[in-house]
Amino acid sequence: MPIPKWLVVARNEYRVRINNIRKIRPYFPYLVTGLLVVYVVFIAPATVSLFIDDLLAFFLSRIAVAMVPILMVMIFFYLIMLPITYTLQGMQAGQVEIFLAAPIKPSDVLLGEFLGVIPFYAIAITVISGFFTAALNPLGLDVLQIAIIVIIFVVTFLSALWIGTVIAALVRTKFAKSARGRDIGKALSLVLALPMIAVMYAIVGGGLLKALDNPGTSGVVRAILSLLPSSWGAEVIVGFASNPGNIGAVGFETLTRFGGLVVFFVAVLWLGTKAANRAYSVEPTTFTASRAKSDGFFYRTVRYLGGGGSFGTLLVSVFKDYGRRLENLSRIAYVLGIIVMVNIFFVQGFTDPEGPLIVAQLLFPFLAVFIVGQVTVHGKEGLFIYKKTPYGVRRFVKAKLVQGWLVVVPVAVVITAVSLILVPQASLGSLLAYTVLIVLLVAANVALALGLALLNPQFSENARAQMAGLMINANIAVFASIGVFIGSMVVLDLGIPNTLLLQNAVIWLLGVTFLYFGNRRLSRIE
Amino acid sequence: MKPVIHTHRLSKHYGTGGEIKAVDELDLEVYEGETFGLLGPNGAGKTTTVRLLNCIIKPTGGTATVNGYDILKEETEVKRVTGLLAESPGLYEKLSAYEFLEFMGALYDVPRDVLVERIDDLLKLFGLYDRRDYLLEGYSRGMKQRILIASALIHDPPLLFLDEPTSMLDPRAALMVKDLIKKLAESAGKTIFICSHILPVVEELCDRIGIINQGKLIALGTVDEIIAQTKTKTLEAAFIAITGGVEEKEFLAWREQKGANS
Repeated sequence: MPIPKWLVVARNEYRVRINNIRKIRPYFPYLVTGLLVVYVVFIAPATVSLFIDDLLAFFLSRIAVAMVPILMVMIFFYLIMLPITYTLQGMQAGQVEIFLAAPIKPSDVLLGEFLGVIPFYAIAITVISGFFTAALNPLGLDVLQIAIIVIIFVVTFLSALWIGTVIAALVRTKFAKSARGRDIGKALSLVLALPMIAVMYAIVGGGLLKALDNPGTSGVVRAILSLLPSSWGAEVIVGFASNPGNIGAVGFETLTRFGGLVVFFVAVLWLGTKAANRAYSVEPTTFTASRAKSDGFFYRTVRYLGGGGSFGTLLVSVFKDYGRRLENLSRIAYVLGIIVMVNIFFVQGFTDPEGPLIVAQLLFPFLAVFIVGQVTVHGKEGLFIYKKTPYGVRRFVKAKLVQGWLVVVPVAVVITAVSLILVPQASLGSLLAYTVLIVLLVAANVALALGLALLNPQFSENARAQMAGLMINANIAVFASIGVFIGSMVVLDLGIPNTLLLQNAVIWLLGVTFLYFGNRRLSRIE
Repeated sequence: MKPVIHTHRLSKHYGTGGEIKAVDELDLEVYEGETFGLLGPNGAGKTTTVRLLNCIIKPTGGTATVNGYDILKEETEVKRVTGLLAESPGLYEKLSAYEFLEFMGALYDVPRDVLVERIDDLLKLFGLYDRRDYLLEGYSRGMKQRILIASALIHDPPLLFLDEPTSMLDPRAALMVKDLIKKLAESAGKTIFICSHILPVVEELCDRIGIINQGKLIALGTVDEIIAQTKTKTLEAAFIAITGGVEEKEFLAWREQKGANS
């Protein structure tokens, strides 16, 4: 009897993942299982107890129990969103031609690829849940209870990942058929994260947990949560916490809920495969023919701002390539969404301009990196167009810089002005002065972000690699801004206006330096 | 005849100890108005040579001049006098054909009044005028190749480097490109440097050819001279004789196993 196709794909996927430890491949499962047991039972509790004393640990364990349902549901939904986000980001047609050419069903590809990575997901989930069981340690849970909690985490989150994988596959089928669809998909991938971030912000700054403490609110919320499979496992964990070391006392509840969770996992696996069988397709792109309109007022203005000659044309071309990719516009929407949420959950109620300006320190470098931070993602071949032409790289960098300014500066002006107008004590003079200083700072941040991107160019089309590169640069830019801000405000006690002046000086200096070295680096890439 | 390309021990080595010799001490002269073909197996160093001569990458040894300009000291001048159709070129997929050519023209500082007319003429020549406003993402590979050839011509350079110019084209478009190359060489006096695997194309178009293998130039001359040197009858046979040939194999042995041919 031939081997099922999904098993062939799963085995291949698994082998690909462990290709760099080929020598220990036969022992890998035993080695990892042993290490994880040692980690959950000994290492994680010992690590936690090193940093937290007994009394605090006991309180933390109570908090951990209280947070289990909301934590489980949040991670559950996050893990559903994760594959969707990554699939939409990296959506490329034609990447699975090897499967298209072979006699294999698309659902077998989907299931096989998921099963192949299950061991690695399980390892990651076990490592995370190990810290959670360590936090519950002061309650006196026995080894069996700890093992069941770890399995609950693994089964619940694998279910979420599989649901996310199936949805991602179906969405991909829908969107990947046309270039416009792929653009929409990539654009959605980032915006989809906003609701999850809203919940997190609501917990941290919006008093969501306090609201849940209120019996009136929590009663309704708990009733809704209990319908979700993530809560079945949470109820088992809460049951264990109430009866540590005595699994028999909650034997029936454990059996039904844990059993229900396992049945749910098998059911979603089966249903997901069936759904993929019906609607998932790995067929390549259909023919697309989008038409460009002739240049309107906006591009004519951009050309004019670029000096009207060759550089103006170059700037317009760079702008068109940027603006016609919806994912770029979604990045702006994403950062704007974050800014709005930060203002709602954290800044609301500030009576002086410091609050909005501190928020600006955090978010504008982020915005700058998101807008100009992916200048080389279209591959080395794209860069070679510029390298072949006279002063090409220099003019490319200049065009990207001006384009970044033209996008970021208006956004920064609007946000700063609106944030400051809402502050009762901000006068018109201070509003104008702060807006000018922030605009200059944002322009410097664009230079810094571009310099960082050029120093570490991302030629990979891999969505994860691109996002990782972006996040590294965003952190560097944010820390540079915050570092100067804290140094100036706390150490030197310079006050807001002088701090903004100092920040401008430092970030401009850094921006120009990074741009110089970035330009040099790009010119030397072969 | 005046040499337009002159290389002297031009080398490009990769790896920490320079153990990968992509181009190894290349001595070559290509003359004005000549159509020169560089042949070689995959990984022989053809594309690296083209990149070196277009100042996209820097040599690790030796020197070269292109149209009298030193590739190390006069990069900008070299870039202005050359047009390049790269083997795997980048393309701005979100630009229309017209916008892409406008962009390429701007990169070479073609005056705007000249550029607009030239783009229209090139689009008409390559049969893409009706699709000038469609984004390149919707173009077939052959159509993209035609746009890329047009972009190599946009600044009307005296020297053209064409890396596999007809490999993705249908017979009609390939014939048009071959005729265009002939016309550019004969009537416009362009010097053309072609890299190709398609031997009939090279045979038909090139005045002289060079064969490169493992970074070294191992044969140089007209097609007839190379065939005579190797005592073979065709360019294909000469190419195989020079680059090492293929070993005799039992091509269908793999079908002999039980059940494989059922």
